[in-house]
Amino acid sequence: MVFNSYTFVVFFILILFLHNLPLSWKIKKINLLLASYIFYAAWNPPFILLLWLSTVIDFYVGRALYTQENPHKKKLLLVVSLIGNLGMLCFFKYGTFLLDNFVSLSHLIGFDFNPAKPNIILPAGISFYTFTTLCYTIDMYKKESKPVKSLLDFSLFVTFFPHLVAGPIVRPPQLVPQFESPRIASRKQMMDGLLLLTLGLFMKVVLADGMLATTADNVFSSQDVLPVLDAWIGVLAFSGQIFLDFAGYSTCAIGVALCLGFVLPQNFNYPYAAIGFSDFWRRWHITLSSWLRDYLYIPLGGSKNGKVKMYFALMMTMLLGGLWHGANWTFVVWGGLHGLYLWVEKFFKDKRGVQSDVSASANTITNFAYAMLTFMLVNITWVFFRADTFGKSWGMLQSMFGMAEGKPLLTTLAILKVTIIIPLLVLCHWFLRNTKILDVAYKMSWIWLSIFWSTMLLLLIWAQESGSSFIYFQF
Amino acid sequence: MDEKSLFKSAVLTLVIVVTVTLSFEIYFRNQGVTIDYDDGESLWANNRSMVYEPTNKSLVFIGSSRIKYDLDLPTWKTLTSVHAIQLAMEGSSPRPVLTDLANDPNFKGNVVIDVTEGLFFSMAPPFMETPNKNIKYFQDRTPAQRVSFELNKILESQLVILNKDHYSLNAQLDKLQVQSRPGVFMMPIFPMNFEKTTFERQEYMTNSFVANPKECQQVKDIWSFFAGMVQHAPPMPPKVFDEIFAAVKADIDKIKARGGHVVFVRTPSSGPYYQGESMGFPRDKFWDRLLKETNSPGIHFKDYQAMANFDCPEFSHLKLQDAALFTKSFFEELCKQKGFAYLKSNPSSN
Repeated sequence: MVFNSYTFVVFFILILFLHNLPLSWKIKKINLLLASYIFYAAWNPPFILLLWLSTVIDFYVGRALYTQENPHKKKLLLVVSLIGNLGMLCFFKYGTFLLDNFVSLSHLIGFDFNPAKPNIILPAGISFYTFTTLCYTIDMYKKESKPVKSLLDFSLFVTFFPHLVAGPIVRPPQLVPQFESPRIASRKQMMDGLLLLTLGLFMKVVLADGMLATTADNVFSSQDVLPVLDAWIGVLAFSGQIFLDFAGYSTCAIGVALCLGFVLPQNFNYPYAAIGFSDFWRRWHITLSSWLRDYLYIPLGGSKNGKVKMYFALMMTMLLGGLWHGANWTFVVWGGLHGLYLWVEKFFKDKRGVQSDVSASANTITNFAYAMLTFMLVNITWVFFRADTFGKSWGMLQSMFGMAEGKPLLTTLAILKVTIIIPLLVLCHWFLRNTKILDVAYKMSWIWLSIFWSTMLLLLIWAQESGSSFIYFQF
Repeated sequence: MDEKSLFKSAVLTLVIVVTVTLSFEIYFRNQGVTIDYDDGESLWANNRSMVYEPTNKSLVFIGSSRIKYDLDLPTWKTLTSVHAIQLAMEGSSPRPVLTDLANDPNFKGNVVIDVTEGLFFSMAPPFMETPNKNIKYFQDRTPAQRVSFELNKILESQLVILNKDHYSLNAQLDKLQVQSRPGVFMMPIFPMNFEKTTFERQEYMTNSFVANPKECQQVKDIWSFFAGMVQHAPPMPPKVFDEIFAAVKADIDKIKARGGHVVFVRTPSSGPYYQGESMGFPRDKFWDRLLKETNSPGIHFKDYQAMANFDCPEFSHLKLQDAALFTKSFFEELCKQKGFAYLKSNPSSN
């Protein structure tokens, strides 16, 4: 079920109604859990079995990991959990990719190996809930938090529908304690949640789907070489689309949870106003970045074991982070490019002896110029993220840098949409970069807020876009 | 602003949204605008799911836009109780849908294939895009999408403002017809009164469209625009046509092997459009060959007095009144074809 659908509107009203009935907290939690399973099963009912399997294994393995004193048995339990979680992810997400690469390698060394093409369907959100359960068992292994007492609370932590399919990726201490005591939304939380839900839907439906998606699709599906203008407009359109789509989902998720009285962590913080790449990764998909930092970058050596190890850990984290997004080498290159940017940035900072990523006077022209440079370089990485082959990526880069003459593709209207929306988006990010959207809402006069709010809602109705899926569901 | 003020904002927002939406709804209704369904993938998928109805109670229509305009479903219902399932799509070739039905072992029904030669005998990817997209949507349709479709049906049947092709934000922006650079393809815009869609996917033009020479000319100009594009395209080698005939035959053989029957129909066109089609796709080389190679019967409008002389307002589709007449005559001829007598043995209950 997607947030931008009539099904979800009815589903959400029913859940709000049930959650506000005078029932016991346990019954309400069971309601939420069943609702979450229905939310997930509304895509493909059989895949709910995977979710159950993952939940049950990790609940019991997590508990055993915490209490087990024998280091060998403890390691064995961790391996069971890792194989269970990552094995499932590898099979469903990377099975075809691994086989294709194996076949290519076989052909390269002269073996004529041509197996049947497997027809594996990717369960929605598998990458997200795998990371959610994985961090629990690793935390249990390290005894960084206490095991969840009941299977009900753990199941709800893994399955809670607002974050289930596309994050934010939650850690047990962020959500589990919220299930321990009864909670319903206060009037403030309800209003905040509805405002965030409207904003998220506006970002997704009106801007990402309505204004930018077609332009990005047309450019990236074009078989022809394109003029510089068309190529850049297509890349900028995708840049806006991916942010508005994914941040729109996260905003909806946070808003929906808030309407039920739960607080989810922030996932985006105006990333296109990032001054540098370390800053970008503190603002883009924050919960994934922090997950990768804590469960990959630091275990690989982090910054405490010398420069060489740090550079290695950084690149490995970015490469694997890229692969997490999709089973294609283009995603690895996307991650690698970000790793390279971070290397260069780190190198110059070390050389200049700068400790902080962002200077104190964050609104200076220099910082704005650096932010724009960051944004433009991030746009180049999006080429590899969006194009499905290296040939396509290379063709697009050639077009972007005027290395080939092409036939115009985009209408003036499509160009106007992108050239209006993207600069406005970047400027919004710049001017709001040190604020929170709800703080901004509370600073506005109530009349201006309602004009802003009703404009978003009316545009949502006017857009009449059908319930298309969110881009990050495929990851 | 305090907590109370946000609540005040929410209430005012609700008042503004409801007032503006209802105002537009009332305004459009006063302008004579009627209910129009979005003929998107979900509506098509809903019809596609009906093809498993009992063979003697249903008949599937595939094709391009003409059969959607020319088969008048209310008239059809006065003639038979057999359910006419409309799967045709405008501006597209029916071949992908034929292949989809042929490859579906659970489909055991009968099919009427509407032939618009320029679309049917084309390999151009744009003519396959919508059918392939709709077929994929049908195959991948989730339970949530089915529920959303049912909820959307309730809203669309009540609100005239829900008209994606003409009232949505993008449709309104497209109507500005902002000039583009030379060589950029811009999709022409059809008048709203030319393309109204019912829930059963019948397409019709309103009487006000028929009475409006300017709008009729606008659509004729669009046909000229597309004809110009086709003229500039490189000619298809004969081998490609051979492949099309062979593929259609293979699909029809599969349907027949499961007990189904297939009839081709050439629905009316008129004026320069028909002349252009006759020159571009001579009957003996395309229509006659199609019937011969597939060993299937066909109903060509020019062969029947009652169907031969319709005057299409924009050269390509029938107005509603003519569609009713065409449907009656077509029904009579269809019943005479092998395997279609059941249409008459299931009389209408109307």
